[in-house]
Amino acid sequence: MTALVSVRGVHRRFGSGPSTVHALRGVSFDVEAGSMVALVGRSGSGKTTLLNVVGGLDRPDEGSVVVDGDEVTGLGEDGLSRLRREKVSYVFQTFGLIPVLSAAENVGAPLRLARTPAADREKRVALLLELVGLSGHAAQRPGEMSGGQQQRVAIARALAASPRLLIADEPTGQLDAETGRSVMALLRAVVESEGVTALVSTHDPVMMALADRVIRISDGQVDA
Amino acid sequence: MRIAAITGLHGASIRGRARADAGPLLLSALVVVLVSLLAGAVPGLMERTADEAVRDGVRRGGDAAKVIVSARFEPDDTLNGRARVPRLAQALDDLRLRAVDELGTDLQRMFRPPVASVISPSLKVTDGSVLRTFRMAYLSGGAGPEVVWSAGSAPAASGDETAEIDWYGPPWLVQVGVSETAAKQFGVRPGALLKLADERGNTRSAQVSGIFRAVDPADPVWAEAPWLLNPAAGADGIGTTRFGGLLSAESLPDARLAFPPDELKRTVSFAPDPAVLTWATAQSLKATVVTLQARSASSSTYDTASTWNTGLDSVLDEVTAQVETARVQASVLLAAIVAGAVLVLLLAADLLVRRRSPALVLARQRGASLTALGLELLAESAVLALAAAGAGCAAAILTTGGVAAGWVAPVLVTAVAAVPAYGILTAAAATRDRRSPANRSARRWARHTAVLRRAAAEATVVLAAGAAIVALHQRGLGSGLPVLAPTLAVLAGAVLLVRLLPPLTGLALRWAVRSRRPLAVFGTAQASAASGRALPVAALVTSVALATFALVTAATVERGLAGGAQETVGADVRVDLTEDTAASADETARRIAAAPGVTGVLTGHVTDSAQIVVDGKLTPARLMIVDSRAYTGTALQPDQALVRSATGALREGMTVEILQTGKPAVRLTASGSAPAIGGSAEVVIVDVAAGLPDPPNTLWVTGPGAVQATDGLTVVSRAELARSRRAAPLVSGLIWLTWAAAAFLLVAGLLGFALTAAAGAPARWLTVSRLRTLGLTPRQGRLVAAGELLPAAAAAAAGGTALGALVAAVTTGPLGLRLLTGQVGDPATALPWAGLAAVAALFLVTAPLLVRAEAALRRRQRLAEVLRVGGPA
Repeated sequence: MTALVSVRGVHRRFGSGPSTVHALRGVSFDVEAGSMVALVGRSGSGKTTLLNVVGGLDRPDEGSVVVDGDEVTGLGEDGLSRLRREKVSYVFQTFGLIPVLSAAENVGAPLRLARTPAADREKRVALLLELVGLSGHAAQRPGEMSGGQQQRVAIARALAASPRLLIADEPTGQLDAETGRSVMALLRAVVESEGVTALVSTHDPVMMALADRVIRISDGQVDA
Repeated sequence: MRIAAITGLHGASIRGRARADAGPLLLSALVVVLVSLLAGAVPGLMERTADEAVRDGVRRGGDAAKVIVSARFEPDDTLNGRARVPRLAQALDDLRLRAVDELGTDLQRMFRPPVASVISPSLKVTDGSVLRTFRMAYLSGGAGPEVVWSAGSAPAASGDETAEIDWYGPPWLVQVGVSETAAKQFGVRPGALLKLADERGNTRSAQVSGIFRAVDPADPVWAEAPWLLNPAAGADGIGTTRFGGLLSAESLPDARLAFPPDELKRTVSFAPDPAVLTWATAQSLKATVVTLQARSASSSTYDTASTWNTGLDSVLDEVTAQVETARVQASVLLAAIVAGAVLVLLLAADLLVRRRSPALVLARQRGASLTALGLELLAESAVLALAAAGAGCAAAILTTGGVAAGWVAPVLVTAVAAVPAYGILTAAAATRDRRSPANRSARRWARHTAVLRRAAAEATVVLAAGAAIVALHQRGLGSGLPVLAPTLAVLAGAVLLVRLLPPLTGLALRWAVRSRRPLAVFGTAQASAASGRALPVAALVTSVALATFALVTAATVERGLAGGAQETVGADVRVDLTEDTAASADETARRIAAAPGVTGVLTGHVTDSAQIVVDGKLTPARLMIVDSRAYTGTALQPDQALVRSATGALREGMTVEILQTGKPAVRLTASGSAPAIGGSAEVVIVDVAAGLPDPPNTLWVTGPGAVQATDGLTVVSRAELARSRRAAPLVSGLIWLTWAAAAFLLVAGLLGFALTAAAGAPARWLTVSRLRTLGLTPRQGRLVAAGELLPAAAAAAAGGTALGALVAAVTTGPLGLRLLTGQVGDPATALPWAGLAAVAALFLVTAPLLVRAEAALRRRQRLAEVLRVGGPA
């Protein structure tokens, strides 16, 4: 299989002088297309920094990141925006939905940005809401939904524009154990059904069990 | 440590929080300083302005402001006739001393040195065809009047100092001195005999003893009889010229004998000295002169007691009315300033508490009591607010010598209490263990209670505004509720706008969701989310509306001054013809009409205090005989008149009788309303065809060249009159305050906008960052952020300006601005469209500028932090 994500010798430092924090120290790995990879490590190990660098939300000080053939570290702001619009999507720990828009409108947001025709957009939104089990909640606003339901909407939104890579940082961090497990199962299912590559940071052993591969990171380095 | 234990205050926390939030704290302090300075300075400035207004009023009052003490001479009748009393000048001086004594030491310093005079009735000069009149006068005051005799000598006694005359003897000869100017114009020399007659045709005799020149023509003594120096045109009626003959102490007894008994009275005139008058002293002065007048009101035929008369009380009453009106108008503006300041302080407190919310909640969760938290916040805000108010008040005292605690108090209380109150509420709400009721009806009741509470508060504001406006219209501008009418009306309007905004943005969001523009959806969604915050929108709308109100008031006064000048003058220039020029009025009119830049010339006859009978009552009015079509645009029939009355004495449909000497009265029907004409309470306009004698004595000239074309004539220029009225202390003071209020409220509005933006910035940029993870570019992100600020900006720009203009239209009438503009009626509300458009544009432009500034401040913040922190959904 070909690698959708290729990370080579990535370093990321924060601050300067004696207070410099070396968050990533020469991280290198590949992620196969269509696979679900769990990124595991203790708090402060560098998981989130690595996800940010891979997704183009942060720039490494050294090294390179290639996503679906695009050298992420070489892209300008517009290039990164295009990358996020077309190839990479995110699921936040705190859902990140727009409060005044309904679930359906939140899911359709990436499609609006992609200028998808209204009819196609509505069809796709309905399909995704059905996929995440929220067909009956399309008109509800985030404030009217439970945490698990909101995260499902967030996953549906992340899948809306058919990204190549889905990045999720502790997607079950704000959910109870049972809801978290169902969300993880959903993620696994949609990765398979949509053919998406997923890079998920987690502490959850269930998630690790569901992943195709587990990358352990500690002190800014990938464990061998 | 012990203090901390007793008070529960943690000094390090207070200092740390103050350092972290130095910006908003300093901004609050600045607002308190400014309001303390402005509110503190205005009463002081008003006091100074009132002093200036009193001086200005007295100056403008001229002779009407003088206090006149008059008394008869001792009787001079004998068994067979009348005896010459040689010591009349001494008797006059006695009256002067007595009047000074009665006036009292305190009031004496408010007057210039008194001038004692004896002035004869007007006599006709019977030796020529030109209508000339003649009066004799003896003046005494200070060192003057000093004269130099250029020819002849000072008047002397005509004969025996103790002569007696028969009742029916020949006219007694009087020696007089004549000024050089008068002698030249009159054509007389020393020794000349003047042929004079009184109004009944009785002959009088005067001989010119000498020609004099005043050593100091500016000596105030001459002001009692200026025609002694220069012949006065029109002083005894249209076409007349009054000449004067100066009497000496020696010739004064002869003058008394030359006139019937008691026709010559001794008079002492006190002219108020504007330089020493103040508002406070004017009040005691008015009270004293009123008392003196009342005490001397009655006198019998043979009484030689002094009689006091003055128009000074009326002059001061008029000034008092203007000053009181200006004071209340200033209070209206101060109420607006205080309201704007209070709202900005509430916004600053809101921002501070939002920034401190995590720390406050954490402290509460760790066991800090609400009292302790409140005290810490109170200590910080009290120190800051009191220091700021102290600085502002000190500056006010230094600049104007006064401070207004009543106006500063609401601002100070807000500055001290807002942050602790918000802080306690925030900490309490975050840690309150209040569970939602399980019962659905109980939940609904709780929800409805909150809705009802807000509705009741809003209804209170609306009702108070309604009551204030009704009170303003019914009772006029006075202290209390009417003063608050514009501010309350604006607050009520702002409350309604706050209510309207969420449904409006909701509608816009529905429309945007159907559109194909993604930015429209996200921007409108942000706008809709932000529109529910009541305080920012209310504060912005109120500040802009009150600033607009101030701008409209200033424009109304400015335009009212122009209108008032137009009413008074009636054209660009009014030419008041003198007896020299009246004869050639038509020729003058033709010459002016031919001058470049003159578009129209109208001639007419104006009589002030014409004798008019209405409803059987004599009603003095200004009578204008003009070409009615040219002057008013309405062609009157010969039996018609236009009327205007400030007192209601003249009304349409009435029969107006105009009395004429030696001719039957002319009866006219009041067929319509005359245009507003300043300077007279009652006005009657009739057409030249009415048959009344109408020798032109007035020209009205219009056109840009009117002033140049009338150079050399006695004119009143509309522009010059408006300028002089605008420069009057009260008017210029109020206009200054109006502009200051507008500027302060605009700045307050902009500060409020910045504070609103700052308070919502963290949540706004979090959402923008989330949207950027969906593929929004930075520029698109800024546009979406601007969308959130747009409702408040649009509400302020459109709603605020419209509301301010509406409130001004409803309230400027009863504000009594006519007292300042010199108009007959209330000035029409003037909308400064360019200014209002600029205010609206300012707030619309500020929204993207604020977003740019916020984006620049966040340029170091990495998008990656969204994934790490996330924030609430």
